[in-house]
Amino acid sequence: MSPESLTIGTLLIALAAFASSVAAVLLLYRYLTNSDDFQRLTRAAAGISTLSLVVAHGYLTYLFVVGDYTYAYVWQNTADYLSLLYRITGVYANHEGSILFWATLTAVVATWTVYSSRFRGRGSRLVQSISLGIVAIFSIMLVSQSPFTPIETAFPDTPSGFVPPDGDGLNPLLVDPWMAIHPPITFAAYALLIVPFALGITHFVSLFRGEESVFDQWIHSMIQWLRISWLLLTASIVFGGIWAYGVLGWGGFWSWDPVETAVLIPWLALTASLHAINRYEKTGEYAIFAPASAALIFPLVIFATTVVRSGVFRSVHSFAAGGIGTGILFLLAVTGTLALALPLAYWLFKSEDETRRPATETWLSHRTVYHGAVLSFAVLAFISIWGLSFPVLRHAATGVEVSVGQDHYNLWSYPVVVFGLLAGGLYALLDLRRRRLAIAATAAVAIVTLLAAFITPSANWYLASPNPHDPLVYRLVGNASVLSIVPPAAFFAGSWTVRYVSRIRGVPSRAFKLRETGIVLLHVGAAIMIVAVSFVYLFTTSASVAVVGVGETANGGEPIVEDVPDSEYTIEVSNYESVEEPSIEDAARSPAAVLEVSEDVSLVRGEITDTETIENTAVAQLDESDVWLASSDGSASFDIGTEVIARGTVFSGDSLDSEAAAYVYTDSQNMGSLEDPPTDVHEPRMVSHEIDVTVYEGDTQVAQGSMAEQEYLRAEMNTNDALIERGITGDTYVVGQVDEGGASISIETYPLANQIWTGVTLMLLGITALTVADHRRKS
Amino acid sequence: MTPRKLLTIVVLIAVLGFGYYSMNTAPVLSDHDYTYQGGLEWHEDPDEALALAQQEDKPVLVYYWTTWCTYCQNYEDEHYQDEDVRDVLDEYVLLAINLDDPGPGMSLAAEHEANYPPQHVLMTADEQEISRLGGYTEQDQFLSELESGVDDQ
Repeated sequence: MSPESLTIGTLLIALAAFASSVAAVLLLYRYLTNSDDFQRLTRAAAGISTLSLVVAHGYLTYLFVVGDYTYAYVWQNTADYLSLLYRITGVYANHEGSILFWATLTAVVATWTVYSSRFRGRGSRLVQSISLGIVAIFSIMLVSQSPFTPIETAFPDTPSGFVPPDGDGLNPLLVDPWMAIHPPITFAAYALLIVPFALGITHFVSLFRGEESVFDQWIHSMIQWLRISWLLLTASIVFGGIWAYGVLGWGGFWSWDPVETAVLIPWLALTASLHAINRYEKTGEYAIFAPASAALIFPLVIFATTVVRSGVFRSVHSFAAGGIGTGILFLLAVTGTLALALPLAYWLFKSEDETRRPATETWLSHRTVYHGAVLSFAVLAFISIWGLSFPVLRHAATGVEVSVGQDHYNLWSYPVVVFGLLAGGLYALLDLRRRRLAIAATAAVAIVTLLAAFITPSANWYLASPNPHDPLVYRLVGNASVLSIVPPAAFFAGSWTVRYVSRIRGVPSRAFKLRETGIVLLHVGAAIMIVAVSFVYLFTTSASVAVVGVGETANGGEPIVEDVPDSEYTIEVSNYESVEEPSIEDAARSPAAVLEVSEDVSLVRGEITDTETIENTAVAQLDESDVWLASSDGSASFDIGTEVIARGTVFSGDSLDSEAAAYVYTDSQNMGSLEDPPTDVHEPRMVSHEIDVTVYEGDTQVAQGSMAEQEYLRAEMNTNDALIERGITGDTYVVGQVDEGGASISIETYPLANQIWTGVTLMLLGITALTVADHRRKS
Repeated sequence: MTPRKLLTIVVLIAVLGFGYYSMNTAPVLSDHDYTYQGGLEWHEDPDEALALAQQEDKPVLVYYWTTWCTYCQNYEDEHYQDEDVRDVLDEYVLLAINLDDPGPGMSLAAEHEANYPPQHVLMTADEQEISRLGGYTEQDQFLSELESGVDDQ
């Protein structure tokens, strides 16, 4: 850190690091001594740290909106041509901005618990101390790798006082509305998990020290935070999937890419934890597992972040390339060790043996079945963790690289999901006190599931296409029919519906009804989603065609109609259009803006307000300012009162020995009126080739709309906008490469794609209803 | 011993078994000699591949891939499994470069401007480029490119 790189933003973060450290230390002191000293100081320190982070985050967003390229992070992640929405997206496009946002939200949650009167008791101080300690670690990381680093510090070769004329631009793949909201909600979900982590750790510390734990006092608030976190995390994964579906252009929304897998792990842990804590709150079961699981989610989030940012696990998320902070690794080690070691040590050395089993309890009890379902989530999480980790471990140990493909995750997870569905269905029926019927029904469904695994009307129905030399498990599961997911999922959805109907019958309480509705929507939504996800990839179809001369369809030209080979499709292409961003009118600077940036060659627009001849050179004043155009070879003619756009080399006024601040030397090739600008000399950031397509299958129209390919000239990268025609039974998906010469278009179908979104929507509605109902019941 | 404890222990044992089993049955991508894309043996070091190509008077097929690229999966599951393609590939020395971890292939990747997967470059034993296939190509076109590459060398 050199003094000149200490900008106002970095100072704010440093202040937050200091204040949150002070607050964390004071709270720890108050916890250890059980005293009420320094209460006002603690509050002030926590408040100051949160306020500085909020201001720093707001300031960074402001810098992005106005495009202040004196900051390296801003320059790297945005540009003038981007709309307001994507300028704000740039804030989260990389490591520093995301961590700042995460730290800010965490600080808000932690400080709120410090100020609120609801969180009292000795243990609360430790919870707050741990939470603010994590805020301090984040802030210290940010000070050493600040989003407010001046461009001269980040790139020592830049001349002093240099202001880049334009930003480097946002990664083209992130220029998408779904990506504008995906990072903020992901980090909001993560931020809500820190207090549960601190609470879980505190719970075990209190038990070891023989104090009263505050876990039970906080539990209602904590469950609500976990639920909101679950809502946001689910939405975040779904938005990421929708983005992949539409933007990456291969029509998939899930490919077990390391990052997708990584974020699924905390999601599974959070789901398991919510189930366990729910039981704990009602019956006191899971006395160790419930707090331990709450503590474990945050380390798993850190693990996911490590995967996303480290580069050890390569994936489409390598957006935030570069070294990950040692701070993240440090956090992973510390939080992971604490969350695992404390509960384990307590379980081994301290805990009383579980109360003896009442003699009346049967082996297949309510509790055991529930436990089986919770274990399913844990096993699924482990399958994902292992799939990410063992190739890295094995490569480090032996130098042998192994591949972990989609089959690993799909085929191992599948039986666990089937088991979980059967266990969940059985649990719901056991709730109805019809024990024998419940067990008989589950057994029957299990048999039907096994039979369905052998029913394969066509080759598409096999779960995978394993080779004869593949491992036994792959061959066993891979050769099963996907039909086998239908009976357990239907049974699961049905059982929860039956349970719902019988529970709300005759209960007048509206809050109770809302709560039960939330629960049933969650489970039915999950069943629908699981079935749809199982089917969608197995039954995709694809056909492709090359269409030449699409450029001729521009400006109302004759549409081109082509039959798509090896299919029933016919495609009609019309209205080719190429759109440049920014257009020359948008890219041209005002005279004042020319003086503000350091540019060798500028594109300037303005009205000619005065003309002169200096040293045999014709010059023209723009907008009565200090910026003049100069004719470099005598070919440009200047007329007072015309508005012009001109491109040329910028020289200071001394070059012509006059009062002007700057001259833009242009010629007739590089200058034009506003009506007829010199478009040939303008290089846009992006050219979008757009066409309208109509697809017929036989005589039926199956898709209509526009598709496009964007060429990002500076990033040397192309993105494709697919045309997605949604339907009840599935999507027709049209994507391809387009330019003026021709288009190579694929027409794909994704059956049941919309049932995935339906299932997820029901789940999101369910968790919302549940959260609202519990909030009403308590208040 | 409650049923839940027993269930937990059974699951733990099953999970350990799964971990061991899956680790040992995972397909080997590369060891100290070759990398195995689509079940073929590819060199990873351009110098090795070029020396062998000189010796056997064969052209070199360079394949730029990554673990996460979906179109690479298509090549490996379909194109490279096809008998005709495999026959033509026998006429080539195979060189596969993982763009995420190019190792000795770093400078070649820069030379070929291979900055995204998948890409194939056909070159002669003295590094003259014959042709280049960026992105995904249909199987028959891929095959004909490979065939004409043998004729052109």
